Amino acid sequence: MEFDELPEEVRELIEQLDEAAEDEEEEAIEELTEKLLDTGVDMEAITLKKLSLCVMDGEEEMSVGWTKVALKIGIDPFKALLKGLAAGMSLIGDKYEKGEAFVPQLMIASSAMYEGMELLSPYLKANSSGADPSTVVIGTVEGDVHDIGKNLVKTLLSANGFNCVDLGNDVEADRFVEAAKEYQATAVSMSTLMTTTMAEMPKVINMLESSGMRDKIKVMVGGAPLSTDYAAKIGADVSPKDAAGAANWLKTTLSESPSDTENLN
Amino acid sequence: MVSEMTSRERVLAMLNGKPVDRVPVVTGSTMVVEYIKKSGGKWPDFHSNPEMMVNVAGMMHTDAGIDSVVVPFGMFVESIALGLDVKMGRVDIQPSVRSFFKKPEEVNYANFLENTYVQTTLEAIKLAKEKYPEAAIAPFLVAPVTLAGDLMGAENLSMLSIKCLQKEKQMAKMEKWLSIALEINKIYAKACIEAGADLLYYSDASASPNLVMPDFYYKVGVPVEKELGDFIHELGCPWVLHICGDTVPIIEGMASTGADCLSVEQAVDMKKATEIVGAVPIAGNLTPLLMVEGTEEQIVNETRKGLNGGAKASMLGCGTPPLSTSDRLKTWVKAAVEWSAENL
Repeated sequence: MEFDELPEEVRELIEQLDEAAEDEEEEAIEELTEKLLDTGVDMEAITLKKLSLCVMDGEEEMSVGWTKVALKIGIDPFKALLKGLAAGMSLIGDKYEKGEAFVPQLMIASSAMYEGMELLSPYLKANSSGADPSTVVIGTVEGDVHDIGKNLVKTLLSANGFNCVDLGNDVEADRFVEAAKEYQATAVSMSTLMTTTMAEMPKVINMLESSGMRDKIKVMVGGAPLSTDYAAKIGADVSPKDAAGAANWLKTTLSESPSDTENLN
Repeated sequence: MVSEMTSRERVLAMLNGKPVDRVPVVTGSTMVVEYIKKSGGKWPDFHSNPEMMVNVAGMMHTDAGIDSVVVPFGMFVESIALGLDVKMGRVDIQPSVRSFFKKPEEVNYANFLENTYVQTTLEAIKLAKEKYPEAAIAPFLVAPVTLAGDLMGAENLSMLSIKCLQKEKQMAKMEKWLSIALEINKIYAKACIEAGADLLYYSDASASPNLVMPDFYYKVGVPVEKELGDFIHELGCPWVLHICGDTVPIIEGMASTGADCLSVEQAVDMKKATEIVGAVPIAGNLTPLLMVEGTEEQIVNETRKGLNGGAKASMLGCGTPPLSTSDRLKTWVKAAVEWSAENL
């Protein structure tokens, strides 16, 4: 879907709808949606593209507005989430990975994605296809309250179809292990920003080992002070460079062992 | 060859761009467990007992040979004094701020200086000055962007840092938070200088390109840091500015604040940084973890790498890890001394 190739009349209506969404004018959004449908244009393709672009640009109000459009024209809510909102999160994630975007851009994109997701969530539950997505238990280790990085990893994992169990920050080692057991997690993701709390990570890995769960679970560790060497030393599977890298790594790794991937979108 | 200097003279000469007998070795926060134990410090008392605090921090100077004595331990004092929730950590984990304000109007700093933890810092400065007059007494303070981030929450700071560049209304919000942070910074800075600080060491951790847009740092961060810096200079005190992360994209901005020295972390290419800023001295930039588990060779190599890259003081890239060992700290100081003997 290239907007440039659309008729001028359609492009104008889309712009007006952007403005109505920005100003949160419900009636105008509905009216303009009708008008766009009347033009006979492929509204689903336009809406999905707009959703991804609004999330990529971190436009909260516009993401919400276009999510309303998606619901109004009857796009499958799962499709609106994965091909629209989450696709936008992946776009900005890729840019960040290439050094073309900064953390605040990821954060406003994440917030735009969640705003849209909130509208979709009642319909998502109703539409659940039955297959549970792979679960990742995620948290910042004990003694560390920095959770921006952890939240970004969570967002990008969610955007890639994973179900995240977020334990928050300052999480004691045994809570990671308990949660991994309770939710039958495919992976555990631990984060820390401080050199002072890095030692909590091997603690969790040792506990997973002694409870016999380590072989079935991928362990990801991340945060500014960590290196690949350190990750290897403590027995983690990976220390991805950033949030986008984490999501990509897990997706790729699981698709290489097919038994784990059947539930992934 | 410059004749032998005291630690204080050495640090002040470096800040003034004057010749030194050897490069100074300085630190940020120094809550080192080994020194807590050796000096009889007790958690969490050493955060609120000035004598205990100075005894712990002082061992960095008397035992390890570091040129500065740095108090307090961690970046929580401003926040706790404003009534925010702070978790006190453990003997080996620094306190951390756990809450933030919803609106700038909620911040009340009328009695800021009367707070126990602020008073502890001020008393500790006085005491350190008495006990170690030959050392550079360097209070460790939270700089304005980071303090604004503590006030509004770091996540909000990060998001507002991009929104405020796009919309005037958001910029007005950001300015409101920053102006309060700056007022608090000035009150605290003045009190620290009056208590006898030789320099003020500011961490603007949250002004890092890891958290806010570099554009925001140049347009919004630099002017507030400069305003604080000018205020400190008017009171006759030098100041050092630390920002975390790879600060090469913003180092020109950091230099333009008028800071007397810039402190950078291990992610920074020292040579590149010193080439960009020219005359402003840079301190750095050993990997802090080396003080916990580094070999002698690693410590010596990283010390020399920073100094060969043009650093005017040797410093860790971030605070001194609590589990640092005294033998490693001494190896580091020795490496800087030996480098100086060969190169100055």
